[in-house]
Amino acid sequence: MSIPNYLFPDILLLIFPFIVIGSRLFCSTQSKVPWRIANVGFIAIFILLNLIPLASGEGRLFISNWKIDDFGVLMREVLIISAILGMWLSKDYFEHSGERQQMHQIAEFIGAIAFATFGGFTVVSACDLLTFFLGLEMATIPMYALTAWNKKDQLGSEAATKYILMGSVATAFELFGFSYLYGFAGSLHFSEIQYAISNGTNPLLWVAVLFLFCGIGFKLTLFPFHTWAPDVYEGAPTPVTAVISVTSKATAIAFLVVLVFGPLAPIQEQIAPLIALLAGTTLFVGNLGALKQSRLRRFMAYSSIAQAGYIMVALLGPATMAKTAIIYYLFVYAVSNYLAFFVFGIIGHYREETFASLRGLSKQDVNLAIALAISMFSLAGIPPLAGFFGKFHLFFSGASTGHYAIVAFAVLNNVIALFYYIQLIKSAWVDEPEGNLSPIRLTKRQRNVVILLSVMVVALGILPFLSNNVFAGFSY
Amino acid sequence: MNLLNCLILAFLLFGIGVWGLMRRRHLIGMLISIELMLNAANINFISFAYFTAHDSTAGALFSIFVIAVTACEMAIALAIIVTMYRRHKSLDADQLRELHD
Repeated sequence: MSIPNYLFPDILLLIFPFIVIGSRLFCSTQSKVPWRIANVGFIAIFILLNLIPLASGEGRLFISNWKIDDFGVLMREVLIISAILGMWLSKDYFEHSGERQQMHQIAEFIGAIAFATFGGFTVVSACDLLTFFLGLEMATIPMYALTAWNKKDQLGSEAATKYILMGSVATAFELFGFSYLYGFAGSLHFSEIQYAISNGTNPLLWVAVLFLFCGIGFKLTLFPFHTWAPDVYEGAPTPVTAVISVTSKATAIAFLVVLVFGPLAPIQEQIAPLIALLAGTTLFVGNLGALKQSRLRRFMAYSSIAQAGYIMVALLGPATMAKTAIIYYLFVYAVSNYLAFFVFGIIGHYREETFASLRGLSKQDVNLAIALAISMFSLAGIPPLAGFFGKFHLFFSGASTGHYAIVAFAVLNNVIALFYYIQLIKSAWVDEPEGNLSPIRLTKRQRNVVILLSVMVVALGILPFLSNNVFAGFSY
Repeated sequence: MNLLNCLILAFLLFGIGVWGLMRRRHLIGMLISIELMLNAANINFISFAYFTAHDSTAGALFSIFVIAVTACEMAIALAIIVTMYRRHKSLDADQLRELHD
């Protein structure tokens, strides 16, 4: 049997982490070989993904339950970008940081990120519940290990304990939901579940849906299941926090998109109030929580809880529009979030990661302060940056099916969000520092990545103007 | 024995798991409660596969996969808990207090 060429990225991603980890056996501990192999591998996968032609309609099936459609390909690109940036962000922590933050075993670290990414790949290409479940687990289990990577760090192991307890409970809820869904439809395949649902519903289905939303609510940090997120984000090492906030969130969103527009499509109308309720409460709680934070990573946790709420709003819309909006927003979110985490990481090498240590940043290193402002304005959704258009598409998708109340609520909430994002910019630009500041030195890689990401945030915002409709080429 | 009995058994097991998770302050006890919840889902899968589903092999297979995945998850959970134990010399969940608002 010949292997179709659209499967090459997936196969490569499955194989090359083993090569990265294996190469460690033949090199000294200081060797750069695993790092180089990892870079080449991830970038090769990204290039291969870009070579897959889009607009292929229904998508292509491989052995009946591995589907590759446009949504899947674009989600893969988001996940790979997140993995590459996470790897670049983590590199400094393996080299020469302070005693407290020093991490070891870079090859295994990159391997764990790659396996989590492959879990995301599996979620977006699954066509039956079993593959779907395995993908979600594969995306989550490496995250637990990554959180506790720094064995000497007390906060890390505490965060990992909380994460794995909450995550396993989420898995149990989800699995219980899957079992009722299987009982309802009598089959695991998505098309047969969809067929069974369109033939009529019964209470078993609603219980299943409730359990599924509870389960995914934990992973997507929806209210009231969001309480683990601030602790885990604060306790985990900074690069891991960045990976959790992008890869894990993107996978959870992809899970919901596949579920709501796949097997649950016939009852999307009926579950819309549930989605709207979860979205509204989540973004409200996230925004309120972020208002009173003084530590940067905890702040980013609440910010990302609120972002999850905004993304949920798009799920109310019609399939094509919602998928387009979510993909575009995830690109924007990934780039803006990583830009913020790069800046926080650079500052964190020299000081505590709190609002207070941002003071005087504009006088010390104005480029870094500009990058921070760009990322915060983008997350807050100020035109002409990418975040504005991302949010616009999300809200447009929600409004196009007439859910004006939740869209209006989300827009009002954005005003609260603006307040705390601008407060962070204020401490970087306006507030005077206390005493003398330790100097900040950027390595060449850090400088290049920060410039690249800043340009991308601006470019992603301007791009939709240049082409008449940047999404016109896609069909789902 | 019929389907309803099996479903009630699974639901009770799940409930016991949730209750145990809330009541127990010992980390190993909490892990056992989680294991109960996961196995309740397994009973559901197998009973649906046995009684009603027209694709019965899939349901039976699913539970085997769940056991394997749970084993991985528990391996990592135990590894993390061992690092906690080395530091605190106790497995009380109330010691998870360093991270808070």
